[in-house]
Amino acid sequence: MRQRRLLVQVGVAALLIGLLALLVNNLAVNLIRTGLGLGFGWLGRPAGFALAETALPYAPSDSYLWALTIGWLNSLKVIAAGLVLATGLGVAAGAARSSNNRLLRSLAAGYVALIRQVPLLLQLLFWYFVAFLGLPSVPIGGLIRLSNQGIQLLGLNLSVEFCAVLVGLTVFTGASIAEIVRGGINAVPRGQWEAFRSLGLGEGLGLRRIVLPQALPAILPALTSQYLNLAKNSTLAIAVGYADLYAVSDTTITQTGRAIEGFLLLLLSFLLLNLLISGGMAAFNRAVLGRLNRSR
Amino acid sequence: MNRWLDRGITLLLLALLGWAGWSILHWLLVGADWSVVTTNLPLYAVGSFPADQRWRPLLWMAALITLTLLTLTGPKRGWVRRWLPLVWIAMAPLGLWLLAGGLGLLPVGTRSWGGLTLTLLLTGGSGALALPLGILLALGRRSELPVLRWSSAAYIELMRAVPLIAVLFFGQLLIPLFLPPGLEINRVLRAVVAFALFAAAYIAEDVRGGLQAIPPTQREAAAVLGLSPRQVLQLVVLPQALRVALPSLTNQAVGLLQNTSLMAILGLVELLGISRSLLANPAFIGRYLEVYLWLAAVYWLACSAMALLARHLEVQLDPARSAS
Amino acid sequence: MFRSSSRVLIVALAGLSSFLASCASLDSAAGSRLDLVKARGELLCGVSGKIPGFSFLSPDGRYTGLDVDICRAMAAAFVSDAEKVQYRPLTAPERFTALRSGEIDLLSRNTTHTLSRDAVGGNGLRFGPVVFHDGQGLMVNAASGVRSLADLSGKAICVGSGTTTEQNLNDAFASKGLPYTPIKYQDLNQVVGGYLQGRCAAMTSDRSQLAAARSGFSDPQAHQILYDRISKEPLAPAVVGGDQPMGDAMTWVINALIEAEERGITQANVDAVVKQAAADPSQTALRRFLGVDPGLGRKLGLADDFVVQVIRSTGNYGEIYNRHLGPDSAVAIPRGANRLAGEGGLMISPPFT
Repeated sequence: MRQRRLLVQVGVAALLIGLLALLVNNLAVNLIRTGLGLGFGWLGRPAGFALAETALPYAPSDSYLWALTIGWLNSLKVIAAGLVLATGLGVAAGAARSSNNRLLRSLAAGYVALIRQVPLLLQLLFWYFVAFLGLPSVPIGGLIRLSNQGIQLLGLNLSVEFCAVLVGLTVFTGASIAEIVRGGINAVPRGQWEAFRSLGLGEGLGLRRIVLPQALPAILPALTSQYLNLAKNSTLAIAVGYADLYAVSDTTITQTGRAIEGFLLLLLSFLLLNLLISGGMAAFNRAVLGRLNRSR
Repeated sequence: MNRWLDRGITLLLLALLGWAGWSILHWLLVGADWSVVTTNLPLYAVGSFPADQRWRPLLWMAALITLTLLTLTGPKRGWVRRWLPLVWIAMAPLGLWLLAGGLGLLPVGTRSWGGLTLTLLLTGGSGALALPLGILLALGRRSELPVLRWSSAAYIELMRAVPLIAVLFFGQLLIPLFLPPGLEINRVLRAVVAFALFAAAYIAEDVRGGLQAIPPTQREAAAVLGLSPRQVLQLVVLPQALRVALPSLTNQAVGLLQNTSLMAILGLVELLGISRSLLANPAFIGRYLEVYLWLAAVYWLACSAMALLARHLEVQLDPARSAS
Repeated sequence: MFRSSSRVLIVALAGLSSFLASCASLDSAAGSRLDLVKARGELLCGVSGKIPGFSFLSPDGRYTGLDVDICRAMAAAFVSDAEKVQYRPLTAPERFTALRSGEIDLLSRNTTHTLSRDAVGGNGLRFGPVVFHDGQGLMVNAASGVRSLADLSGKAICVGSGTTTEQNLNDAFASKGLPYTPIKYQDLNQVVGGYLQGRCAAMTSDRSQLAAARSGFSDPQAHQILYDRISKEPLAPAVVGGDQPMGDAMTWVINALIEAEERGITQANVDAVVKQAAADPSQTALRRFLGVDPGLGRKLGLADDFVVQVIRSTGNYGEIYNRHLGPDSAVAIPRGANRLAGEGGLMISPPFT
C-alpha cells in the first residue's frame, strides 16, 4: 500500500515536472525567436522618465531599480493610509447598523448596498475625474486648502491622485469591512447589549468597551483578507495617474520590453507585502485573543 | 442631552441629504447631456458587433434577463421549476453559438464582441473554468500526498498574493510566450484563462472551508456503507461542501463580474473599455460624468441581479441553513 | 481513489505533453507573414480605437480614421477586399508585443518611427513610409499667459504613459535644465480630461492629437498649441522586422497611394484612367503602375493590379487625408508637411519601375 502511494506520488511529481519543463522549453524557444533575453542587469540603467510623486529624491537619470523603489514607497504610502481610514470608516458604518437611530441605520445600509455592487475601477475614475478634479480652490481655515491641483492638510501636501486613490480605496474597502463588523457584532449575544443598557451605560461606550472587543475574534480573520484586498486593489492607481509600483513597472516594461523580469519583481514585492500584513494581523490576533483569555 | 444631540444630527443629515438629492436630481434631468448614452446604446450593449447581426447578442441578453426575472419571481408550476436549472445551463452554449456563429449563423470573430455582452461572457466563461479548477485545487490541498499538497498550496498562496491587474496584464503578454510558436489564442480567450486561473485560487479556499466543515463522521458512515473513496467524494462530501461554501462562491461570482472592468486598462472593449473608446469621439469629449453614472447604474443592476439570484439559489438548496 | 481516475489523468497529461512537444521547435515553418495573410483571406490590423481622426469607434460600431484607411488599403492589396480586416484596439504598452507575437499582421496605430523601434537590438520592427509627419507639442490655456516651454518650469503637465511622448517631454525639459511634474494617464481622453479640469497647466501629445482633441472642446479658441516643437514624430505603419515580402508589400502600398495623388488618380476616376491606359500603348509608365502592363505587382507577391484595387477602395493619399483630417472633417489639421513634395511638403514616392 505504501509502495503504491509512493509510486503515485513519484508519477504525479514526474508529470508536473514534465509539464513545467515543456512550458519552460516553449518559453525559451519563444524568447530566442523574439530576441528577448532574461536578466536583471537592465535595472542599473538610467530610467529616463520622471515621476510626479516621490517620497525620496528622484531624478530621471536615476536607475530603473530606484524608480521601482520610489513606486513601491508610493504604494506603501497609500496602502498604509488606506488601511487606517478604511478600518475607521468600516467600523463606524458597521456599528451604525446596530444604532437606535433609524436614519443612521438606513444610511449605513444604503452605503454598503450601493458601494459593493459597483466595480472599484469605476469608483476610482469617478472620484478622480468628477470629484477631485472638480474641486474649486477653497481655503478652509488656515490649515486646510483644497484645489484641483492638490490638497494641503496640516502642512502636508497631498496630490489629487493620491487623494482620489485613498478615498476610493477607503470607501470601497470600508463597505466590505462594515459588513464584517456587522457580522461580528451580530455574533455577540443579545444579553450583552441588554446588560450594559440596563446598567445605564451609553450606546457609544457600551459599543466600544463591551461589544466590539467580544466581536473581535470573529472579525479579525475576515478583516485580514480585506486588508490584503486593499493592498492588491491599490494597483488600480494606474488608472488615475498615481505613480504606484504597478504604474512604474508598467512604464519600465514598456520602455525595456522586460515583461518576465518585471512580473517576477512585482510578484516578489506583493508576496513581501502579503507577509507583512498577514504577519502583523496574526500577531495582533494573538495579542487580542491572549487578552480575552486572560480576562475570562 | 444625548437625545437632543441625536435629533440634531438626524436633522442635519436630513438637510444635507435633501440638498444633495435635489441638486443631483436637477442635474440628472436638466443639466446633463445624455446623448453620449442614448446615441451609443448599441455599442454599450454589443460593442462593434456587425450591425445586421446585432439581434444575436441582443437575443441572448434578452433571454438572460427573462430567465432572471422568471427565476426570481418564483415559478409556481412544478415542471417549470424542474426545467429551470437545465435552461440556465443551456444559456452558455446558446450564448457561444449566437455570438461566435457557425452552424447556420455568420461567424463573427471575438474582436467584434464588446460591451455588456463581452462582460457577461467573460464572467460566465471564467467562472465555468475556475469552478472545476478550484475544486481540484481544494482537494489537492487536502490530499495526503505531499507533492500534491505542496504544489496546490503554493499555487493558491501565490495567486492570492498577486493583484488581479498584474495577472491580467502579464497573462496578455506572457501566455503567448508559453505557447509553441504558431499557436495563437485570441485576447478574449487569454483574458478568460487569466481570470479563471486567478479566481480558481479563491474558489479553492472557499471550497476548502466547505470541506473542512463536513464532520469526518460523514466520510466514515459512507465508507461503512460500502462506497468507494471516489464515490464518497462525489456523492457525499462534495455536494455538502459546495452547499456550505455557496455564499462565498456566489460572492466570488459577483466579484468576477466587477473585475471584468479591469480589462479596460488592458484595452479590451468590454463595458468600461468601450466607454473609453466612445469618449475619444470628438462629439463626446468630456462627457465622462454621464458615462460613468450610466455605467455605475448598469453594473449595479447586473451585480444586484446576480446577488439576488445567488440568494435564491442558497434558499433553494439549503432552506434550513439560509433561514438563520 | 487513484485507481481509475489517476489513469485517466495520466493519459490526458501524456497526450497534452506530446502535443505540446510536437509543436515546440525552432524549426517550425517560417514563411512570410504575407503568405499567411493571403491564405487566411483577412488582415489583422492593430489600431488605437481612441484617437479622433486616426482610428476611433463610431456609434455604428465601425472603426474609421486615417490609420483605419491605411489598413483597408493594405487589405485591398493583399486580399483584394478592403473590408476583410479585423481591427484590434491596442494600448501603447502592448502594441509592439502584439506585433512580435504574431497577434496582428500590421500595426497602424499612430506609431512614431524611431531608431530604437527599428533596430534589431530594440523592438526590431520594419516601418513603412511615413503616412503623417507630426511633431509633439504642448497645448495650454490661451488665457494662462504661457507662451513657451520655459514658462512651464515646475508646472504640472498631463501626458499619456507608455509612449515616446513621455520620453520626449523629459528630454525637452532636461535639455533646458528645467523641472516639471508629469501627471501620467493611460490614454488620450484621460489626458484631455485632466487638462480640461485644470489639473495641469499644459497637456502634451502629438500636435495632430492636440488639434483633434481641441476640435471637440466646447471653446476651441480658448486653447493654444504652442509653437515649441518638442520632437519630430513621423508616424508610419509597421510590421515585424526580418520579413522582407511583408515589409516591401506594405511599403509599396503606401507609395502607391502617394504616387496616385501625384498622378491625379482618384477613387472616382481610377476606372476611367485604367480604361484610357489600356487603350493607349504609349503610356508605358502609367500602364506599369496600374498593372495594365503586368509584372510589378507579382514581384511583391501581390496581384498585378493591386494599385487599382487600393485606389478603388480608399482613394489616393490626399483623399484619405481629406476624408479624416481635411477642412470639412471633424478634426481639421492643415496638411503642412503632409503635402506632396511638389507642393512644398514631404510626401513623395519612389518610381514604380
